[in-house]
Amino acid sequence: MPASKSLIARKLTRLIVLASGTALVFASLVLMIEDFLSFRATMVRNRSIQAQIVGSNTVTALVFDDPEAAEQTLMALAAAPRIEAAGLYRPDGQIFASYVRSASVDRLVFPGLPAGTGTSHVFDFPRHLHVVHPIVLEGTPIGAVYIRSDLEELVDRIVRYALLIGGVLILSIGAALLVSGVLRRSISQPIVELAEVATRVSEGRDYSVRPKLSGEGEIAVLVSAFGEMLTQIQARDRSLQESHDLLEQRVQTRTSELHALNKELEAFCYSVSHDLRSPLRSIDGFSLALLEDHGDVLPQEGREHLQRIRAATQRMGMLIDDLLNLSRITRTSLHTETVDMSGLARAAAAELAAVQPDRHVDVSIQDGMTASGDARLVRLVYDNLIGNAWKFTSRQPAARIEVGTANRDGIAAFFVRDNGAGFDPAYADRLFGVFQRLHAMTDFPGTGVGLAIVDRIIHRHGGRVWADGAVGRGATFYFTLAPAPAGRPPAPPTA
Amino acid sequence: MRRAIGLLAVFASLLAATGATAQVGRPQEYEVKAAYLYSFGKFVEWPAPSTPAESASFLVCVLGQDPFGPTLDETVVDAVVRDRPVVIRRVTRAEDAVTCQVVFISASEDAALEPALTILGRSPVLTVGDLPRFAERGGMVEFVVQASRVRFAVNRSAAEAAGLALSSELLRVATRVLGTPGAGR
Repeated sequence: MPASKSLIARKLTRLIVLASGTALVFASLVLMIEDFLSFRATMVRNRSIQAQIVGSNTVTALVFDDPEAAEQTLMALAAAPRIEAAGLYRPDGQIFASYVRSASVDRLVFPGLPAGTGTSHVFDFPRHLHVVHPIVLEGTPIGAVYIRSDLEELVDRIVRYALLIGGVLILSIGAALLVSGVLRRSISQPIVELAEVATRVSEGRDYSVRPKLSGEGEIAVLVSAFGEMLTQIQARDRSLQESHDLLEQRVQTRTSELHALNKELEAFCYSVSHDLRSPLRSIDGFSLALLEDHGDVLPQEGREHLQRIRAATQRMGMLIDDLLNLSRITRTSLHTETVDMSGLARAAAAELAAVQPDRHVDVSIQDGMTASGDARLVRLVYDNLIGNAWKFTSRQPAARIEVGTANRDGIAAFFVRDNGAGFDPAYADRLFGVFQRLHAMTDFPGTGVGLAIVDRIIHRHGGRVWADGAVGRGATFYFTLAPAPAGRPPAPPTA
Repeated sequence: MRRAIGLLAVFASLLAATGATAQVGRPQEYEVKAAYLYSFGKFVEWPAPSTPAESASFLVCVLGQDPFGPTLDETVVDAVVRDRPVVIRRVTRAEDAVTCQVVFISASEDAALEPALTILGRSPVLTVGDLPRFAERGGMVEFVVQASRVRFAVNRSAAEAAGLALSSELLRVATRVLGTPGAGR
């Protein structure tokens, strides 16, 4: 049989050889034991009969004291070549006559008279069989016959048997190997082919290969089921790929549409804001001219109205500026670098202090803060956050602003904290919306665009911004400039 | 191995020696003969006994002058032949011995041997004697001494003529067997 790489073929061969070998050895052993036992029984029976014959033929020799006659009778045992030695004994154990097959035989040792009147034997495998037959004349024991035979025949028989079993075993293993060679073709070959196809499929991701259909029965079912499975996988794979492609295409279309729309919207917003400024400047300018040139003819009330028109136009100008800033943030690209956060915060605070030198605010800024981001935009974040803090602490006798970093759920977050007016946590989600204001204009002036700008900048960096606070208890604004580590959801705003 | 055979040989020679000493002298010889005398009964078939008295005991008789002395009586104490106790009877006339199973005819009867054998030959009686040529003269079992050992010769025809069957075993150890089987019938 040619050597096979296939494990299943080898296993099948081993199975067949082992099964047939075991059955054969077992059956042979049983037969051998049976043969051994029956041969032994026959041997014991034959020796007993011979002992009885010798016994009955030597009665008179014993009674009439004729050892020569007894020895002659014993000589007849030479006809049985396996009888090694024999002896005739008187009841007191004294030898009366003896026979030995050849000079090379061991000394004859009488094992003693058996207890009963029957023949007894000792089977001393693999050396001897001892048979003792008492000679009784009219109820009186007058002697005993002792026959010792070797077990060469039995040993020969066992050896012959063992050789036969070995020979048959070798032959049957050869036959089993031949048979398994045939079986291999019908059982293991299709499985091996199937395994090869499966390997090719799993390694090459090639679902187009098909196992060759051969044989019949369960293996053929397996092969065809595997082929069917491959067909289904191939079909599913194809449809999956198609829908994936379709989706990809759709996403691309939508994205480009969205981009176009967004651009359009931004352009619109920019042009609107821009175009609104010149009429606004006219209103303001002519209101001023009216006040300066004809203020003296206008009643006090008229002058006040003109002042209000001017304040409103200036405010509208600020709103338009903020809107332009907002759209600009969205449109400009990021220039990421290592940013000195402490420096930016200090600059922002210094600018505020320069504008309002009369205010006394305790500003403390943590040293050595750095981050990766766009320095111009981060400055804007600090401008807005510190500016807010500055603004909302204006009613505080001992205003305090703290800028630093804090670990929030394993994320290093930057914060700006004040002890100002704070806010109602219920409206925290509205803090970062455009034009959303939680305080009355008269309390704290503002456009409601600042935090929207902060929100947009932080999101452009991939970070998060959230706020913490309560009415009258100050506010803390947290932000991060990088996405949260993978597998860790960003910390939810605590307020 | 050779030592074993040697031992066996020593054994055999010892046995022969004791046998020889046992047979030296008359008393020993008659001791053996006394034992043999009733032992013959074990190897001879008698016709079925005709009277209950006959079946009660196994009669061993001595005709003529008793050469055994007390030996015979001592030997047969507790001896049993064919389930019958052995009884010794001494007779002087052959007619008195016809109911016996075994009769030892003493050497003193040498002159009247033939008439005595004729009388006893009509009954199933085993005749034993140690006169020379006893078997040739019509006796059934004749003691002979060979190499200082007691052996016996057998006259088969005479035994069969009297209705006795001698076992082949007995014939096997006999030194001489006279007559052909079946000749007396």
